Amino acid sequence: MSQTALSIKAVDKFYGPIDHGVHAVKTLSMDIQKGEIIALLGSSGCGKTSTLRMIAGFEPVSRGTISLGGREVHMLAPVKRNVAMAFEGYSLYPPLTVRENIAFALKASRLPQAEVDKKVAYVAKLLEIEDILGRYPSSISGGQQQRASLGRALIRDADLHLLDEPMGQLEPQLRALLRGRIKHFIKERGLTAILVTHDQTEANALADRIAVMEGGVLQQFDTPQMIKERPANLFTGTFVGEPPMNVFEASVETSESAVSFGLAGGVKLAYAASDFSPAVRTALAGRKNVVLGIRPYAVRRTEDGVPARVAVNQWLGDQTHIATDFAGATLVLVEHDRTRLAAGETVGIRLDPAALHVFDGASGKAISHGQELA
Amino acid sequence: METTSALEKVLRGVALTLVVLFFMFPIVWIFLMSFQTNETILSIPPSVIFTPTLENYQALITGKLQTASGTLDIAFMKNLLNSVFLSVSSVAIALVLGVPAAYAFARHKFRGSEDIAFTLLSFRFAPPLLVLLPLTQYFQWMGLSNTYIGLIWVYQLICLPLILWIVRGYFEDISADVEYAYRIAGHSWFATFRKIALPLAGPGIAAAGLLAFIFAWNNFVFALVLASADKQPVTVGALAFVTASGIQYGQIAAAIVLSITPTLALALYAQRYLVEGLSLGAVKG
Amino acid sequence: MTTLQLQNIVKRYKSQVVLDNLSLDVADGETLVLFGPSGAGKTVLLRLVAGVIEPDEGRVIIGGEDMTDVDAEHRGIGMAFQNFALFPHMSAFDNIASPLTATRSSKEAIVAGVGKVAKLLKIDHVLSHHPKALSNGQKQRTALARALVGSPPVLLLDDPLRNVDAKLRFEMRLELPRLLAAQGATVVYVTQDYKEAMALGDRIAVMAKGRIRQIGTPEDIYNAPADIEIARLFGDPTINLLDVTPKAAGAGIDVELSGVKVALPHLPASLAGRSLVIGIRPETLHFVEAGTPGAIPVEVEAETPLNEKTVTLVRVSGGREVLVSRPAGTPGPVAGTAHIAVDGATTFLFDKETGQRVAAAGQSAKTQGAAA
Repeated sequence: MSQTALSIKAVDKFYGPIDHGVHAVKTLSMDIQKGEIIALLGSSGCGKTSTLRMIAGFEPVSRGTISLGGREVHMLAPVKRNVAMAFEGYSLYPPLTVRENIAFALKASRLPQAEVDKKVAYVAKLLEIEDILGRYPSSISGGQQQRASLGRALIRDADLHLLDEPMGQLEPQLRALLRGRIKHFIKERGLTAILVTHDQTEANALADRIAVMEGGVLQQFDTPQMIKERPANLFTGTFVGEPPMNVFEASVETSESAVSFGLAGGVKLAYAASDFSPAVRTALAGRKNVVLGIRPYAVRRTEDGVPARVAVNQWLGDQTHIATDFAGATLVLVEHDRTRLAAGETVGIRLDPAALHVFDGASGKAISHGQELA
Repeated sequence: METTSALEKVLRGVALTLVVLFFMFPIVWIFLMSFQTNETILSIPPSVIFTPTLENYQALITGKLQTASGTLDIAFMKNLLNSVFLSVSSVAIALVLGVPAAYAFARHKFRGSEDIAFTLLSFRFAPPLLVLLPLTQYFQWMGLSNTYIGLIWVYQLICLPLILWIVRGYFEDISADVEYAYRIAGHSWFATFRKIALPLAGPGIAAAGLLAFIFAWNNFVFALVLASADKQPVTVGALAFVTASGIQYGQIAAAIVLSITPTLALALYAQRYLVEGLSLGAVKG
Repeated sequence: MTTLQLQNIVKRYKSQVVLDNLSLDVADGETLVLFGPSGAGKTVLLRLVAGVIEPDEGRVIIGGEDMTDVDAEHRGIGMAFQNFALFPHMSAFDNIASPLTATRSSKEAIVAGVGKVAKLLKIDHVLSHHPKALSNGQKQRTALARALVGSPPVLLLDDPLRNVDAKLRFEMRLELPRLLAAQGATVVYVTQDYKEAMALGDRIAVMAKGRIRQIGTPEDIYNAPADIEIARLFGDPTINLLDVTPKAAGAGIDVELSGVKVALPHLPASLAGRSLVIGIRPETLHFVEAGTPGAIPVEVEAETPLNEKTVTLVRVSGGREVLVSRPAGTPGPVAGTAHIAVDGATTFLFDKETGQRVAAAGQSAKTQGAAA
């Protein structure tokens, strides 16, 4: 299993002259194991699409190497790399029906017609496009086109499947189901896949590991769980997770017996020294300004907590989102039951030290997560 | 890999040079001719080495044309002024009439609006001569032949459809929501037209105006038939150089240089707007 | 008092009926959300209220006054557009000020008014910028500020959060109720996002094909959807729908799912034998130990985390797929065989033919058809 499928080594991408053009991807190195689903996550312009296009071969690599299954491919034409791709803009062939579009991906493999039909039928059932197989791309909706395009990529036996924003246009009612099915499909066949997305929900839902990119730099490359629990810096901390992490600028004071954080509006969060490991206490000692982060679902309501005023209470059917005025900012809580709190009510807020993320005030680099040093 | 080989670069340079030469040659040649006498122009083989003379320009500006058979009076400067006056007034009137009409066609689809708009455009399809014969008669009855008003009126056949169709496209490219937003903010439709639609279509209107100006300036046949010497523009006036004693190539060249100078200057000045205007549709939204 | 009434509105484009005899009342100070798929007629309806489109039939009554034939500029309405519709050649300040310049307010009043709303929306530092120089979030706030600045009694918001990223959308979703409450305006809010609809609406009108299919509080819609389509539109992950034929069981009925009986005591025995569809919301399903009474054996296909929840796709015997969702961090199976339990009382039954929900005793689906 632990066989490297894709290896990216010190890859740079410049648009324009090397070292003087736009530096879109900065010294990126990543190893992807066979059978893994990887998400390249970031906002537009973060370098994720350039990376994908370099892997696919649509964009030359300015510096560094990309190898696929041990062979260097970054000088090869796209067709020689054995990579399947679903494009963000679908790129379905207009004169072909959906069925022909999907089957087209199998042309090179010279399979008998019966085998092709079987495969197409299977993928079509998976993606709920059986009833539109005979239609032409121009006569189906965006969501259906996206599913057809996904089908064309998934049906191939390739060393690597690249999916560019594969689910952005999907009908919301189908999204959860198709995510489950596609993940199952990829895992069952042991395919290796990279999906590029700006939607952290999608990355979390599908990926084994997420590569968070910003400004052409890989910020963190880890499992969804680790990114959630141990974000490397303030950027990943706030980018991944919905609702986003609550953050507060704070001053910090440490003594033999206590650790306390001073927030805006005179709010003081006092903890026993034992709430943090000695290493964390040492790291905090002598610092002045930090940024505190806490995920909305980790915020507790207790009678004796810091008082906060409920500003908005929004019930979404299966979750309640509560925004409170806390320490001169907004603190969001997520509860899984229906919480009946009216705007204007006061609640007591407790921020458990175990759920507290501390970031450096200037660089945004993580200092500690709960008890542990980052 | 997208590295270009040295050979590729050289070939690309050669190809570009050839294209530039092909398009620029006539202009350069005319420019050179305008500084030569008829004799040097007609010498065989032609030579690029000559003593430049300002004689041609002098003749044009003073209005005295020296030919082998004596001195001829020409009205070139008057023609140039006519051209400026005719073109500017025609475009101005076409803009005043055409821009609001274009807005109406763009924003208010009514029964037959498409047909009317197309009919207006179809004026551009008809050969001018088709219109000219009856027009000459009408104009004579109405006392409009050989008047500026008559010419400007006829020039609307050139300018109005052009402006109407180009500007309509620009108005259609403005999101209706932007205008709705201004209306809902409490402004009348006329204020919305003035403060939102006009400024946003500005580059397009400028581009259309410029094109209309060039077409008006270059028009030949309307003025040839409907105007006599004192109302003629340069395009027709240049005929005077075809004299009984031969064709005055030098003066023609100088006349051409003088007559394309205003449009060229205008085009260069407005290039930024023109490009912006003509590509506005591509980046809407 | 500014109420908004639409009476028997009909709007056609060519031969297509976009709004089909639609009537709607919005109370003073209420936020009514128009929710529905694209093409349902939501945006057309909003423009009719704004006065930039005229209805073919019907009346638009604002604050008790018939405004059907009144021009847009005299209706006193504020509107924010999905694509922001900012004036690209004007600064953010001039954009926001445009409703004030129309009323010929004094210069001081304009500066004060724009300043106040800009501060409220946290864009006071970019007022001199042109739209081109604004970020997407700032554009959206500028558009909102322009709608709010004149304190219009009726506010129309056409999917204003659609074109901003998820984080900003979430932020604004929490901020909007406060802004709207401070304004005290009667609000019609259009969205395609059910979460936005539930979070912001005092009431939600679900639209489809030019008609209102159901109108009610978020609770009404989520807990008593009028039909299958509406049940599918609200909830993420989407509600599980399985064909069933109930059997009588005492005063109530029960249905069989993968050979396991699920009791629905709240539904009448008269439903027995009919072809129905059972709707089970993913969050009402729970993983249980094998051997628990009523446990249904399933194969786990894939686990897909969804924000603060974990969604598991499972397959019950017979091949039918079911989505189960639970709070993130709670234990659950990742692969292999597991068991789930259904709480019959939280399920819905729908008629297979018509899609209408089969009402429980003493509970009636609040629907408002075109005829109502």
